[in-house]
Amino acid sequence: MHFDWGYFWSQLLTPSGAFLHGLFLTVLMAVAAQLLGSIFGLGVALCKMAPNRVLRAVAGGYIWIIRGTPLLVQIVFIYTGLAAANILRFNDIALPGGVIFPGSVQAGILALALNEAAYMAEIYRSGILSVDRGQFEAAKALGMPPAMMFRYIIMPQALRIILLPIGNQFNIMLKNTTLVSVIGVSEMLLVTETINSATFRTFELYAMLALYFLLLTSLWHLFMSWAEQRLARSSDRLAAPRKTLAGGKEAAA
Amino acid sequence: MKPPRISDERLIELTGIEKWFGKTKVLDGVDFHVRKGEVVVLIGPSGSGKTTLLRCINHLETVEAGQVKVRDELIGYRMRRGRLVADYERNIAYQRREVGMVFQRFNLFPHMTVLENITIAPLKLRDVPRQKAEEDAMELLRKVGLPDKAHAYPAQLSGGQQQRVAIARALAMQPAALLFDEPTSALDPEMVGEVLAVMRDLAGTGMTMVIVTHEMGFARQVADRVVVMANGQVIEEGEPDRIFSDPQHPKTRALLSAVLH
Ligand SMILES: Nc1ncnc2c1ncn2[C@@H]1O[C@H](COP(=O)(O)OP(=O)(O)O)[C@@H](O)[C@H]1O
Ligand SMILES: [Mg+2]
Repeated sequence: MHFDWGYFWSQLLTPSGAFLHGLFLTVLMAVAAQLLGSIFGLGVALCKMAPNRVLRAVAGGYIWIIRGTPLLVQIVFIYTGLAAANILRFNDIALPGGVIFPGSVQAGILALALNEAAYMAEIYRSGILSVDRGQFEAAKALGMPPAMMFRYIIMPQALRIILLPIGNQFNIMLKNTTLVSVIGVSEMLLVTETINSATFRTFELYAMLALYFLLLTSLWHLFMSWAEQRLARSSDRLAAPRKTLAGGKEAAA
Repeated sequence: MKPPRISDERLIELTGIEKWFGKTKVLDGVDFHVRKGEVVVLIGPSGSGKTTLLRCINHLETVEAGQVKVRDELIGYRMRRGRLVADYERNIAYQRREVGMVFQRFNLFPHMTVLENITIAPLKLRDVPRQKAEEDAMELLRKVGLPDKAHAYPAQLSGGQQQRVAIARALAMQPAALLFDEPTSALDPEMVGEVLAVMRDLAGTGMTMVIVTHEMGFARQVADRVVVMANGQVIEEGEPDRIFSDPQHPKTRALLSAVLH
């Protein structure tokens, strides 16, 4: 076995323009799909819990299909399948400034987002269900309609509970972007494959690719730890023991 | 014999209420009314349906039969093609503003300060300008004796303080009536008095109140009328002195001797 350290380090520390562009696409798709999936997933979650039976069934069916089929298949189906059936074709869009937003990237983001929505829906649902029932009742008794109750009373409490699982979802999302390479999006994996087919430094290149993903997920992990600490500090305040008043009694007991 | 502050207008009127939880009949043909300015205390053994009856008034529970009216308006249902059907959540929400509720477990919003707890509903539902809403909230906090806790979070307060904030929060919507479901049952004994004092003041201002409580001394003091429930039915009602000194129904006697002795 020969590992070309010189090549490895040069690629790692001074990656090619093509690779950096792949890195950009990876991060762009992950962030966009996570945001879209989080918004759509909230809608799916609310439908799943709606009093209306039809809404519940539609949301349940959606979650069932998405979670029961491979993401890779969903990606190919949305980009290639829908186009072949003349249902939906993703065309490149020219953005101002001469930037092209390729159809394959659009399809990739959409597929990742639709997939993410199903998982986010279940996370939101578990968060909402773990909020004390008394909170719903207090909000209702004040006369809040459902939308206002969720916006101001339920979701702020549910989000604290589900911060950690949402963080995990984005970690998975970052890695799942590699699947979009099958429809020709030059994200980090496909760029690496392309460079490899010209240089055949397979071992070095994929080690470097792995390290770049490790860097991304580690940065995200650091951010989440920081966010959790902040939350824990504010939760201390929210759940502060009744020091001043119960203190005397505890001492007496 | 009723004091002049009580009008003849029936603010809350329930007729023939039936409520089932699965196969158990929890409310069994209950007629119940509250006049404007009246303080009605609801007593009865645990499981007799007091909480459920209270929750029917602001439609936190649906009913299987009977009608709930607040200010002569049917709560929770509307007419469609000559038949009663469940009303939209938005309309029900609107109707609930007429009736405030104070819970056994306070149910303050833990992620908001005391001031935010009190102002959120007037701000979002009644479009009161923020400054006015906060002034009103401070006024209410003075009334319940907690003006210095405006910026505390609920978890930093004692149970008695939380319940007083909960009363202020309910009052901030300027409801026509307030419902109390065992407001002192979750409190340490030394905090019961401060909450009852606030409620007594409130009764003195002519507020219409329905109170579920086991505090019989308090009931005798503030109630205009006492309603006794057992097994989902109203078994007896009358002026407090009469109920406490001369209970007619055997179950009332059993209840009172259990609590008073
Ligand atoms: N959500 C519920 N599901 C099933 N049974 C319930 C529910 N709430 C109350 N009950 C039952 O209804 C009866 C009356 O309860 P409740 O109104 O809470 O009585 P009270 O407040 O007088 O103690 C009890 O037998 C109780 O077990
Ligand atoms: Mg009860």
